[in-house]
Amino acid sequence: MKLDPVTLEILNNKLAAITEEMCLTLQRTGRTLYVKETADFACALAGLDGRFFAYPRSIGVSGFVGLECAPAIEAVGPLEPGDVILTNDPYRSEGLATHLPDLHMIAPYFHEGEVVAYGWCFVHCSDVGGRVPSSISPTNTEIYQEGLRIPPVKLMRRGEMNPDVRLFLDANSRTPDANMGDIRAMLAALAAGQRRIDQVIAQHGAATLLEAEEDLVAYANQKARSVLSTIPEGTYRFVDYLDDDAVSHLPVRLALALTIRGGTVHLDFTGSDPQVAAAMNIPSRGRPHAWLTLRVLALVHTLDQTVPLNAGLLGPVSIEAPLGSIVNPEEPAATGVRHAAAIRVNDVLNGAFGLALPSVMPAASSGTVIPVVMAEPNAKGGRNVQVVEPMIGGTGARQGHDGVDGRDSGISNLANNPVETVEAELGIEILRYALRPDSGGAGEWRGGCGMELTFRVLTDGTNVLGRGMERLLFRPWGRSGANAGEPGSLVVNEGMPNEHHLGKIDVLEVNAGDIVSFRTPGAGGWGNPYRRDPAAVLADVANGFVTIEGARRDYGVVIADGGVDEHATQTARAGRVAGNKEIAFGPERDAWEEIFAPELMDALNHKLLAQPLARRQRLRHEILGGALGRLPEGFPRKPATPDQAETARQALRAALAD
Amino acid sequence: MTAATRGARIGIDVGGTFTDFVLSDPRDRSLSFYKEPSTPDDPSRALIDGLQALLDQVGLGPRDVSVLMHGTTIGLNAIIQRKGARIGLIVSSGYRDILEIARCRMPSSFDFHADKEIPLVPRERIIEIGARLSASGAVTARPDEMEISRVTAELQALKLDAAALVLINGYTHPDFESELAERISSQAGGLAITSAASIWPEIREYERTLVACLNAYIQPLIQHYFDGLRGGLTERGVTAPIVVTASNGGSLSAASAVDRPVETILSGPASGVMAAVRLAQAVDTPGIITFDMGGTSSDIAIAAGGMPELATRTDIGGLPLVLPVVDVSAIGAGGGSIVWVDQHGIIKVGPQSAGAKPGPVSYGQGGDQPAVTDCYLTLGYIDPAGFLGGRMKLDGDAARAALASVGTRIGLSGNVADVAARAAEGALAVTTAGMASALYKTLAERGLDPRGFALVPFGGAGPTHANLLAEEVGIPHIIVPPAAGTFCAMGAAGADLRRDFVRSLRLALDAGSSATLSETFEALRTEGLSWLAAEGGAKGETRFDRAVDMRYAGQAYELRVNLPADATTADAIAEAFHREHERIYGFRDTEAVVELGTARLAAVGITPDLPVPDLYAGGTAVGPKGERPIYHRGTWIPAAVYSRAALVASQSLAGPAIVEQEDTTVVILPGWSGRIDRMGNLHLEGIAK
Repeated sequence: MKLDPVTLEILNNKLAAITEEMCLTLQRTGRTLYVKETADFACALAGLDGRFFAYPRSIGVSGFVGLECAPAIEAVGPLEPGDVILTNDPYRSEGLATHLPDLHMIAPYFHEGEVVAYGWCFVHCSDVGGRVPSSISPTNTEIYQEGLRIPPVKLMRRGEMNPDVRLFLDANSRTPDANMGDIRAMLAALAAGQRRIDQVIAQHGAATLLEAEEDLVAYANQKARSVLSTIPEGTYRFVDYLDDDAVSHLPVRLALALTIRGGTVHLDFTGSDPQVAAAMNIPSRGRPHAWLTLRVLALVHTLDQTVPLNAGLLGPVSIEAPLGSIVNPEEPAATGVRHAAAIRVNDVLNGAFGLALPSVMPAASSGTVIPVVMAEPNAKGGRNVQVVEPMIGGTGARQGHDGVDGRDSGISNLANNPVETVEAELGIEILRYALRPDSGGAGEWRGGCGMELTFRVLTDGTNVLGRGMERLLFRPWGRSGANAGEPGSLVVNEGMPNEHHLGKIDVLEVNAGDIVSFRTPGAGGWGNPYRRDPAAVLADVANGFVTIEGARRDYGVVIADGGVDEHATQTARAGRVAGNKEIAFGPERDAWEEIFAPELMDALNHKLLAQPLARRQRLRHEILGGALGRLPEGFPRKPATPDQAETARQALRAALAD
Repeated sequence: MTAATRGARIGIDVGGTFTDFVLSDPRDRSLSFYKEPSTPDDPSRALIDGLQALLDQVGLGPRDVSVLMHGTTIGLNAIIQRKGARIGLIVSSGYRDILEIARCRMPSSFDFHADKEIPLVPRERIIEIGARLSASGAVTARPDEMEISRVTAELQALKLDAAALVLINGYTHPDFESELAERISSQAGGLAITSAASIWPEIREYERTLVACLNAYIQPLIQHYFDGLRGGLTERGVTAPIVVTASNGGSLSAASAVDRPVETILSGPASGVMAAVRLAQAVDTPGIITFDMGGTSSDIAIAAGGMPELATRTDIGGLPLVLPVVDVSAIGAGGGSIVWVDQHGIIKVGPQSAGAKPGPVSYGQGGDQPAVTDCYLTLGYIDPAGFLGGRMKLDGDAARAALASVGTRIGLSGNVADVAARAAEGALAVTTAGMASALYKTLAERGLDPRGFALVPFGGAGPTHANLLAEEVGIPHIIVPPAAGTFCAMGAAGADLRRDFVRSLRLALDAGSSATLSETFEALRTEGLSWLAAEGGAKGETRFDRAVDMRYAGQAYELRVNLPADATTADAIAEAFHREHERIYGFRDTEAVVELGTARLAAVGITPDLPVPDLYAGGTAVGPKGERPIYHRGTWIPAAVYSRAALVASQSLAGPAIVEQEDTTVVILPGWSGRIDRMGNLHLEGIAK
């Protein structure tokens, strides 16, 4: 590194603080809900190579440290002072933007005629047109349905807004004024960054700034390598599934081979499913993209809290993401809900790192984020649309620590809504907003509990949306002998004559008096549940996280008269052999993989990727559908008989042999 | 002279090391100061002993005291250390997990080993009751006798010191909840039960629950403390009323503080800020940034136009508090923050602190990692023989050796004193840059420019570090108060009586709702008046400040808008909101419907100003008492050393200079000058970078 250790640390603080100040400016001047409330925006500073050397720590979206500005900068050609680039196109920005509502902007910061840095920011704006209001729907099949695509263009030329670009923007949004408000807030943030960069140059000199940009990235790279070099070398394989892709009932498989060598990490996603005809594809462009590497970043940060947040953290990371797969889709795949797949990518990385670092990595978290939304008819003939609660679950247990109940910042760290403000604005009575007892995977360390939201609808003709429901089938897995967490569920009018158990919904139609219960999955446990300290089980029972029946059934601990019955517990535990599985996936996945075995699926995906894009989906449906047709209705929840299983396997092998 | 007519007002600040006293003597309008070592096991002992000693010193008797004003950190410490009472919580059916779920956020998005906060009440001591209301205030579940008996029996089985009661939508109808709390309390043998809706009827169930739980959690401790204090004072013949300073910068009677101790949690930091605000008023400086640098961290607060900013969301040991409190934010290192080098050879300061034990290396108490205080010592800023007025000798050699080792690890070479000094200067540059960055962010949130403010430093290290910070940030003016250590006691002695009242409305703004708002304010004013009367403050000058949280329909956030007294019509209220929205967010939306949220009223009983000392007029300027080298930008330069006590009004000093006083040292950098005003404040002025 070129700078002395004092100057480097000073600029480390100052430059990171500039990005936070940019964020605060954006938040203060921004107009829409996404900016004010859910903080779905970020600002950063990029070096001459277009990679971030400074990124905010405490405000804005945390996961975009690894984004690259260079392709968008190259696309627009030479820049002048006062120019600002705008883009939202995942394909033409090479993965800077990852779905269309995210408007990304880049401003060159000049000093004496030369670019010394780039300011960057993005905002998730309200609407960029497309098939549905707010532009995002999981059932969109092509990016053309998702709204206006903005290739990298100069929104601002020498400080003036390009009127032609503005006309296109305004004409292609349901909310042009709100968008322009957010764009102005972004311009204010970029200007704030320019002012502070000027101040740094006045104080330290431009040469020092340029050295700091490189040094900070090198410093983070060194730190990341130091952390990663403590991981045992080797290749670790892990697979996980999304229950389905929202347009079919076929699960989506994510496969990873993680190779650790000499402080570097290679992520090979070969064997993952082809891109889907739904909006959950992750447009990584084959790069070590932010959405595919979030868990690496979190791991480094967890083990060394002093790392600067910048592109250097991903310096040791390389990637293989097959073109045409869900983690590197070909144009024109839809990408609106790419975060849904990213949640499971996070689980796959977590699982693979867990094989290398069993005492550091937790079991699977609940792995779902469901913004439960209610749309009720209003007096004016329209609908009031509002989020009731963003539902999440808990975090997985790890060696020595129970998981966290009802919280999970793995993908996003959103605040919930006070029940009282929801009831003041919607025709709803929230009857229960609670943790789910017995939902956390039993283990020596218990997985975090999932949550329950039960509400009574007060208006006829109301719609309830539950997008993002996941892990209703494949459970959050447990580690090192522990159980998986309980899957999620959705029930209407539970315990009443008109009770309905529903699976995943897109839109549910309900009337006044209906009672809707969402339950999110519990997280996976860690370690043999029969070794859990009976006193800890007793405390869980006293607190209601585990029921008395659950204590006996899952932990072999007998609770009587508010205490542990030592003798009965000894007997109960002696009679049982602990689950000795390194990873407990739960019966549904075990049943699934008994037919759709990993090596067959690897082969299938290899075969599919060799086909032209247009044929892949159909072929996949034919082959998997053919095998599923030989299995009982409700498989894999309902197990197959040995005969059925054998016929299905034969059908699959035959199709693969074609 | 009798206490009832014109007695002595005494302000007290109970600190971790010293209990400080300020006595305002009505006989000659003078101020007297006194310090007594604190007695953390029972803070009232130092308070009673120190008071006695102070009265003896100035020749007053116990009956000459008219009022005792002090802040307390008992509540705050109990919450942070989780050493409060054994409390339970009663909550509407379906909400037993209200504290477990909280607002669903984790403290870190990056660290997957982070844990959530420990709930104030474990789930096993939370009881559900079949009682709740609708958003419009209708009772939708009313508990019958059987239900109340069941809850009471469960409550009693838990053997609690106190409890809290929260009903969903309770804020719409506080009487329903408080009557239920009384019924349960009387059935449960008089168990103290805080009703959340009565103590703070604001919408948002989790935050309101915490207000009630925090209150119940510290109430028994506070009650015990004031009972003991009252008893001890009575034994010494002091019967003057006790007034307690509050987190909102005001004060309340001891009886009120025992009822609502949650209002006193942050009284310590608030007192310091209020003292600075009054000082700024006295010297006609409308905009100040306070800078309180203590052992483990530094805090700032902003006051523009003579009023400190109030926050309605603060973090108390990981828990959000929504009561209005003087807005104090941490900006980084304190004197005890540790200077270290990471494995890649980069120098770091904090966040770990050496604390008071073992403390910095120079304390000689076993600390082996250098701290920020060791840097001051090594650079010649502070005198090893003069720390804490000479009561604590510092080991300069040990500090130098430890910093020289830091210097070596970051690649410096040369003689030990030089390497140590360069490392120390580097560490302070890192510290200052960190503070400046945090300060810029705080100002950016509010759209403020540092050049329009004066910095008011206090706390043990504030005056030592203030010039470094001001130069880095671009603040041209620093005001160092006469006695940094007794500053908080001054703040206490001058505190107004103040209590905040709220009522959540949630109505679209029109002629009808603006009338409802006026009625609400009138009801709150009546409550405020009767509270002031009970506190004995209604006879003097009173003031009622009105504010209301408002938003454009559809917005998810509300803005707190201060309403001028004449803003009563819908148009005037809307205009006040548009204006504030434009100031903070840069635009107004005159098309949108404006909604009224929570109405807020502050009832203030104004305390007469403290006498302004004029002790410095007419003295003769005394020159420096000596000279010592300080290290500045890579070289040793001579700095004149003055004694603060010997400085007289209108005396000017030129930097580089050091001003030593009993409890702190002021550093004046080259290019800056110092001047003493009639009240004894030391003003530093300079050309900022």
